[in-house]
Amino acid sequence: MKAIIYREFRLLAREPLMWFCMLVAPLFCAAFFTTMMQEGLPENLPLGVVDMDNSSTSRSLQRNLSAFQMVEIVQDYPNVSEAREAMQRGDIYGFYLIPQGLQRKANRQEQPTVSFYMNYSFLVAGSLLYKDQRMMSELASGSAVRTALFARGATNAQAMAYIQPIVVDTHPTNNPWLNYNVYLSNTIIPGMLMLFIFMVTVYSLGMEIKRGTADELLRMAGDRIERVLLGKMATQLLIWMTIGTVIVVWLYGYLHFPCHCGMPVMWLVMLLFVLASQAMGIFMFSCLPTTRMGLSFASLWGVMSFSICGMSYPVMAMHPCLQGLSWLFPLRHYFLLYVNCALDGYPLLNAWPHVCALLLFVVAATLLSPRLKYALSHYAYQA
Amino acid sequence: MLTKLNRIFFNTLHTIFHDQGLIIFCLVVPLLYPILYAFIYTGETVREVPTVVVDECCTPTSREFLRHVDATADVRIVSHAQNLKNAEDYIRRREAYGVLVIPRDFDKTIVRGGQAHVSIYVDMSGMLYYKALLSATTNVSLDMNARIKASRKAILYEDVSLYNPQNGFAGFLIPAVLVLVLQQTLILGIGMARGTEVELRRFTGIDSLLRVSDAQLVTLGTALAFLLIYVPLSIWVLGVIPKMFALNSIGNFWELWAFMLPFLLSSIFFALSISSVCRQRESIVLLGVFTSVPFVFLSGVSWPGSNMPAFWHNLAQFIPSTPAVNGYVKLNSMGAHLPQVWDEWRLLWLQTLGWFLVAYFSVIRQLWPTSFHIQQETEAKEGE
Repeated sequence: MKAIIYREFRLLAREPLMWFCMLVAPLFCAAFFTTMMQEGLPENLPLGVVDMDNSSTSRSLQRNLSAFQMVEIVQDYPNVSEAREAMQRGDIYGFYLIPQGLQRKANRQEQPTVSFYMNYSFLVAGSLLYKDQRMMSELASGSAVRTALFARGATNAQAMAYIQPIVVDTHPTNNPWLNYNVYLSNTIIPGMLMLFIFMVTVYSLGMEIKRGTADELLRMAGDRIERVLLGKMATQLLIWMTIGTVIVVWLYGYLHFPCHCGMPVMWLVMLLFVLASQAMGIFMFSCLPTTRMGLSFASLWGVMSFSICGMSYPVMAMHPCLQGLSWLFPLRHYFLLYVNCALDGYPLLNAWPHVCALLLFVVAATLLSPRLKYALSHYAYQA
Repeated sequence: MLTKLNRIFFNTLHTIFHDQGLIIFCLVVPLLYPILYAFIYTGETVREVPTVVVDECCTPTSREFLRHVDATADVRIVSHAQNLKNAEDYIRRREAYGVLVIPRDFDKTIVRGGQAHVSIYVDMSGMLYYKALLSATTNVSLDMNARIKASRKAILYEDVSLYNPQNGFAGFLIPAVLVLVLQQTLILGIGMARGTEVELRRFTGIDSLLRVSDAQLVTLGTALAFLLIYVPLSIWVLGVIPKMFALNSIGNFWELWAFMLPFLLSSIFFALSISSVCRQRESIVLLGVFTSVPFVFLSGVSWPGSNMPAFWHNLAQFIPSTPAVNGYVKLNSMGAHLPQVWDEWRLLWLQTLGWFLVAYFSVIRQLWPTSFHIQQETEAKEGE
């Protein structure tokens, strides 16, 4: 057993590719995603304005618009066509259209319409602007009325109550900043780790066949496949969990992402997740015991995980058969456990089905081990 | 010279069609993967987000408010709870994703002419839940406000969503995925082909030794072979798939092609350059697959490019998918014309040139007489 662990360490250390996949790339990804979205919530998104009125009302409207934190009015366009072209060039994400005669019509109570055109090809930018825009629409219609009410001696509270009798207070629980980094990095970074675990597990088993060292390995383990797996996987687990610990500490200790359950619980979730991913990797190779097919399986399944785990697009909005399929992806369970423990602060066992699911991956892999043993002892490498 | 180019070209084609791994990455994946992705996101947006209500007011006004909220497409009221604590149990059991609280003095405040506050609490595990609940309640409150004050607004306000009228997920993510599928499969395919060559110590399947002076022929011949395969594939991926899934596709066919040619070329040379580090057949899968996710982010469709740290933003300019995704979205989803994507188009040609040079030098290095495998081969020949 010791010999297998020692041998595995030597094999991994000898190959630069493994250094890259097990250390450099996962840590690079952790740094990449967290620094990319370090702003948390995009600020000063460029917007344009088409002011056809050029009146004091339209200018005060514009001033109000550019006072919002999330947007910045970068350019005044003479007409809609030019604003549209700027949007198609990607200079701005959207523009306001203030029609001619705004002030005159507003004074005459003729209800002019201010329009906001938003480019939803960039959904995130568009969605994030949504709340500010709603507020803006209230302000736009309210400001004129409020001036009139103030003139009649109304207090601010009375005026606001007149303009807006029902107000909606939003409480985005546990991520009150709507921080995008919290929202995405928490799942993408472990997801990248999972992708590497899938591939390295398949690769390390496949290389035994390719190098023709599988027989020697089985001999070392006294012809017992569980020893082979334990020896190889325990070694890799040690490395993966080192990286996993760094990720947990980086996210919750250094960046202080919400973690209501405390770091030890998240570390435990990470451990379960790494085990399940390794098991999934073994499972893949046992099903398709050639390096080529196993790696194709691992990469397609791994990349698909990011979509089907439901972190950005909810699983409940997917086709029912995909909802069922999502149970076969370890990242899906990790995501739900993270939401349950770190984000919402419920005890780990509240989400026990997902803990069980992660453990079931390990069981599934061991069930297939006779097949793996057959593959290791009988298959020869073919390009 | 032409015959040599011919042989390199046909040998590369032969390699592609006789290698299972290459068939998977260069034919099967580009054909099927986009369908799978489009299928995942085909629902576009989340509807009927399950929500629990805590109605402390229990008056006709509060019930009217709730009826209107329940009637929206975005929200479904699954249950009424006594208080916030009970409502939280639904969240904990994942039976609801939001809580809507109407305070005790809701009706009274309105009648008195004050400002009544309705609160929503949203589970932040998904931004779409937040948006659905926020927009449903805001719309209802605006609507009821208008009726309560029974006065006309001074200025009306409308918002128009352009180029993705359903504000859907597929409409924004799929175009980026489609472009990425082409680039990434090229990286995997070319990397695998080259890794195999290095591993088996042969080059483009030609037994007779190629000289360093043939480097440009090798680079071009390989590139042309992959280009030939990828032209029909990109028609399928970029032209047919969006139509099949009713995504925006309002671009002009020829403009699209004028734009996609430099993309394919730069991707091929980019892939050839990367492939020079592959010492084995399998290396590229381990090196290349993970890059898809960072590349999507670097292209700026998800996190706005204008808010990226400068370092990443500059790095993104070296990757073909960045200008290609932006240009493709502008041409095909937003109906722009070539002059409006001039910046992207020029960048793609610059990348084509730059990555060609890198690829060319990497081939020279590989063909250099002192290079390891050729030396071996020469020795083997001398041995004979």
